[in-house]
Amino acid sequence: MKVEEIVKYMAEIIPQRKVSVTEKVLAFIVRDFKIWWTYKLWITLDIISSLTFVATYYFVSMITTPQALIESGYAADFLTFSIIGVSFQQYVFSSVSSLSDAIREEQWNGTMETILSSTTSFRVFLLGESMFRFIIGSYFLAASLGMGALLGMRFILNLESMLATLVLTILLVMSHMVIGVLGAAMILKLKQGDPIVWAFSWLTQLFSGVLYPLGLLPDWLKWVGNVFPLTYSLDGLRRCLMNGESLSSPMIMDNIVKLVVFIVVILPFSLWFFKKSYDSTRKEGALGQY
Amino acid sequence: MNSSEILQMFKGEELRYKSNLRQLMAVVWAQLKMMLAYKSWLIMDLLSTFASVVMYYFVGLQVDPAKLSQSGWGTSYLAFSLVGIATSNYLWACITRLSHSIQHEIRGGTLETIAVTPVNMLVFFIGLTVRGYLVSLIYLIGVFLVGIYGLGANLSLSPQSLSAFLVLFILMLVSNQAIGLIATGVIMVYKKGDPLVFILAALNEFLAGVLYPLEMLERFPVIKALSMLFPYTYALDGMRRTLILGASIFDINVLADIAILIVFSMILVPTGLKVLGWGYRRIRREGTTSSY
Repeated sequence: MKVEEIVKYMAEIIPQRKVSVTEKVLAFIVRDFKIWWTYKLWITLDIISSLTFVATYYFVSMITTPQALIESGYAADFLTFSIIGVSFQQYVFSSVSSLSDAIREEQWNGTMETILSSTTSFRVFLLGESMFRFIIGSYFLAASLGMGALLGMRFILNLESMLATLVLTILLVMSHMVIGVLGAAMILKLKQGDPIVWAFSWLTQLFSGVLYPLGLLPDWLKWVGNVFPLTYSLDGLRRCLMNGESLSSPMIMDNIVKLVVFIVVILPFSLWFFKKSYDSTRKEGALGQY
Repeated sequence: MNSSEILQMFKGEELRYKSNLRQLMAVVWAQLKMMLAYKSWLIMDLLSTFASVVMYYFVGLQVDPAKLSQSGWGTSYLAFSLVGIATSNYLWACITRLSHSIQHEIRGGTLETIAVTPVNMLVFFIGLTVRGYLVSLIYLIGVFLVGIYGLGANLSLSPQSLSAFLVLFILMLVSNQAIGLIATGVIMVYKKGDPLVFILAALNEFLAGVLYPLEMLERFPVIKALSMLFPYTYALDGMRRTLILGASIFDINVLADIAILIVFSMILVPTGLKVLGWGYRRIRREGTTSSY
């Protein structure tokens, strides 16, 4: 082949079919599923490990007293209280860390630069990277709650409480996606140890009432929990699933309003922050560095 | 410098550090320097470790002291969970350190470089392990200090109970380190062994009764029997006897735990070393020290 032919070949604009966002996100999901499915042993071990924590709190519930739960307005059942807390905390932690983990993985494998220099926008990239982990996270959430039910968790499931649970779960996911985007922006710059995901993990465990009602915290510490959307989500979800409250309950509506406000305020900021971090990393030519 | 000098330099077999001890110190020092490069990560890690203790302080407020006392572990759930959380965190940080570091070196493409230098690989592996022990020790001491002086956990700190605790603690590390050696051997060959370590950590924590008294398992004989297969179960039982009940090394139950841990160590450590050696020789033979 002559040089002129090569130049002509490279210069040629090849007509491409426009790929929709849905198709791209689906492609991300299929790709991640294929990688995930390769490690079948890993999947089995992951299932066992997520079930052991349910069993652990089953045994812890045998030595607890429900007094603090009753005083905080929940049904007297530590097992249900703790399994809802830990399952949803793990669910949102996996969603928050999914973006940072995915970016870290792409950086390690050297594929980050390749993907982002294609026609795929960074918003679609973020969405695609997080979707599969959300699906898997939902699967593990359902498995944990199912296992809990087998061990004696008591849910109040009627149409109203299930509808309220659905609304709260959607808001829970959305509000934590926002935090995940902030974490992803940090990992693009820092490369190692995402402080937002770490802080989120231990602060929510401590102050969002994952394993105990917030009434047990001293007054001067209670305000910390109010910063995190997980606090409102867990309170709302427990009221629905343990007490059978519906969307008409003022406590549930209060939690929903706070979650919506959090999303409306933080979402534009986190997208702006990610764009800044992404642009600055691109300018430095450090997208593929790790 | 002319070409013959350069050739001479490459031919030279001069080792900067000839003694194994100097090499070991160099590996540990290099690892510590890398760790200190990520200061924010380090601070967050420390805070999250302390947070886990504080969290179980609040969980303890929901525990019925009478129910805990029926299991024979006193009335303080904070003291009970503190010993479990502190030692299990330390143990798993130590055990996973070697496999994590090796995986890191493989992915970074530096394991091959190290393997072709005259550095003794056994010394290199020991160096990575020692780094894990040293750093995690800071966390362990921090967790105990927060628990005892910050939250008021009532632990027996007499010389008799502390010396018995130390013996059990060392035996816990020796008997469990074999799991880390086996995991490292498997990771070197199959490149994906983290879940194995992770599941062992989760199972160990669950079956040894880190968060609940093992007496709760009486109704579940199969789970109880499984828990007896893990050396950490005996180590934790002994350490709780010393720190919560004030038992000394002459206590019959503590002595029984020590004897069982020695047997575990005698079986598991040689097995772990064999698997590690097998993994290392195999990746060298197959030329896969850099693939992942």
